[in-house]
Amino acid sequence: MRHLLKYGMVLLAGMAALLHPAYAQDKGKVYYMVPTLIDEFQTGSVSAIEMFLKQVGYSVTTLNADNKTDLQQSQMNDVIALKPKAIILAAVDFNALAPSVEAARAAGIPVVEFDRQISSTMSDFTSVAGTVEIGYVAAEQVQRLLTEKNGSVKGKVLQVLGDPGDPYTLDIQKGFEERMAKFPEVTIISQPAMQWEASNAGTIVSDQLLANPDIDIVFSHAAHLSVAAVASLEAAGKKPGEVYVMSSNGAPVALDLIRQGWMQVEVEQPLYAQAAAIAMFMDKIVAKTKIEPGEYDVLGLKSTVTDEAWGPTIKIPGAAITKDNVDDPSFWGNLKPPATPVTSVP
Amino acid sequence: MPPRQRKVLEFVLDNLVWFMLLAVLAIFSATIPNYFQPGIFANVIEQSSVLGVMSIGLALVIIAGHMDLSVESVAALSAMATGILFASSGIGMGITLTPGWLVVPVSLVIGLAVGAVIGALNGYLVIKIKMNAFIVTLSSYIWVRGLVVAASGGRSAQNLAPDLRFLGIQRFLGIPLTAYIAILCFVGFSFMMAKTRFGRHLIMIGGNEAAAFRAGIKVDKVLMIAFVLSGAIAALAGWILAIRTSGATANLGTGLLFNAFAAVVIGGVSLKGGVGALPGVYAGVLLLSSINTAINLMGLPAHYTQVIHGLLVLAAVLLDTLKQTIRKRLA
Repeated sequence: MRHLLKYGMVLLAGMAALLHPAYAQDKGKVYYMVPTLIDEFQTGSVSAIEMFLKQVGYSVTTLNADNKTDLQQSQMNDVIALKPKAIILAAVDFNALAPSVEAARAAGIPVVEFDRQISSTMSDFTSVAGTVEIGYVAAEQVQRLLTEKNGSVKGKVLQVLGDPGDPYTLDIQKGFEERMAKFPEVTIISQPAMQWEASNAGTIVSDQLLANPDIDIVFSHAAHLSVAAVASLEAAGKKPGEVYVMSSNGAPVALDLIRQGWMQVEVEQPLYAQAAAIAMFMDKIVAKTKIEPGEYDVLGLKSTVTDEAWGPTIKIPGAAITKDNVDDPSFWGNLKPPATPVTSVP
Repeated sequence: MPPRQRKVLEFVLDNLVWFMLLAVLAIFSATIPNYFQPGIFANVIEQSSVLGVMSIGLALVIIAGHMDLSVESVAALSAMATGILFASSGIGMGITLTPGWLVVPVSLVIGLAVGAVIGALNGYLVIKIKMNAFIVTLSSYIWVRGLVVAASGGRSAQNLAPDLRFLGIQRFLGIPLTAYIAILCFVGFSFMMAKTRFGRHLIMIGGNEAAAFRAGIKVDKVLMIAFVLSGAIAALAGWILAIRTSGATANLGTGLLFNAFAAVVIGGVSLKGGVGALPGVYAGVLLLSSINTAINLMGLPAHYTQVIHGLLVLAAVLLDTLKQTIRKRLA
């Protein structure tokens, strides 16, 4: 009887543990190395990664590098010593963090690259929208907007970059200018907003409006820069739609600007899908089993896993947000996380 | 040297930064396409408003022989407080007041109070606890920025109340009203420094704190006021910054501290204290703004703009050093 009672208690405790929400955390701890927390995309990525990984059984601890490469390297060293199940890295600097990735993998800790692809060394998984590809999507939209405004792909575009020391903005610029190169009638003026600071973007726009009053489109590399750009347009007496405005990353402020008529296009980085993809494959990553190339459905987006020189990579297409689809709840800028939990890929 | 020639030279040296500004504007106007136009000059004045106001507070503390590295973060906190309370998008609460114009004094008072409290804390630690001003305000620079990030959660507040935005949009003689706030500050505080007992005491304390104390000046009280003023003025700069950008982001104002230091030094304020006048600081701010505008119009590759900016600032400071050398020889 005493044994029966004992086994019964153990069984009950086991069942209680399974029913309790904490059961989802029993697969272990994963560290997310976020590059900064002064950017709405990055802030959103923290909550998205924590939410999706919890759904598949992992707890997440996030470390913020404040956009400092050396700090992120130190954080990587510290985390390697803690031996987590995996490290999710959104690198401050794509190349400088490669040795840290190698050190983690040498210590048997899988490394996942989030949003910022490191191609100079092997990683266990990479989930990106593709920063160069964001530039491609932006170029397509600029071509469409210029045709709409001027009858053909001709005109003047002011490209407000982020900090010129950040490879993220340089990649977008690369993709954008690569696709715009075949349109010689388009003049692109590029200026950096130092340290991604919004008032610097506002200053650039107000100066350029005087030097180049015929600017057709202001394309900023982040939504918060567009807010300051719009403030400068408004201060210069412009009305919504008089100068087209577009930017990239899909932050909530951009969606507000689209609703107000100031912004025509926001190129979205599919934040939720990028984070969900990591959660879907986390069991395989931790178990170090092969991730099969092919097409996968990530939160309704058709995404492709390919075997690259730097490891398996899932690319999730970024979408162009316009006034026609701005209220689509799948855009992370609407801050409506998917209701259906993600499940691990078998 | 004949007295007349000496007088002319002293006048030039006293106002060297203004001559430098004129020379720079002339060179840029002649060499950079589209620079020479009233709109660009209005932009230079408008873009100087935030940095100008911030530099006033910094200059007061430096003239008093101390340091305030927290001004940039205080400005950011004031901007974020204004954004969170009175912006309607993002994390903005969109508080409305009746009548609508009340938002202007209310937001200003809140911003100034935030800055004054941090300034008072800095002052208390430096004056009463006798901690080093550099360390105390460096710590404030870090924790206040951290507070901005924590309060905002990394998100931004946008779409500021129209009655506040009015100050950034409405122009008088082609210049936005926010720029007039900066000009009024310079006029007011220049008068304070030149014509009031407080201003004179501040310069005396900066020149020799012990001598000022022996002369019966209430050194602690004057210094405390200087720190509170520095915080409040930085908060005013943040309030203008929020109006200018129609809200606030967590990194708003990043980099302003170094430009404010450059403007103060170019403007002739000695980092050792006891020397300096605010009109020169305003000229320094206008000079930096002219350089920034020139860089924006030159269409240089993005990677080189920081190098050019730094070198131009260095050139301005070198000229200022040359001025000090000539002045010493004259003396």
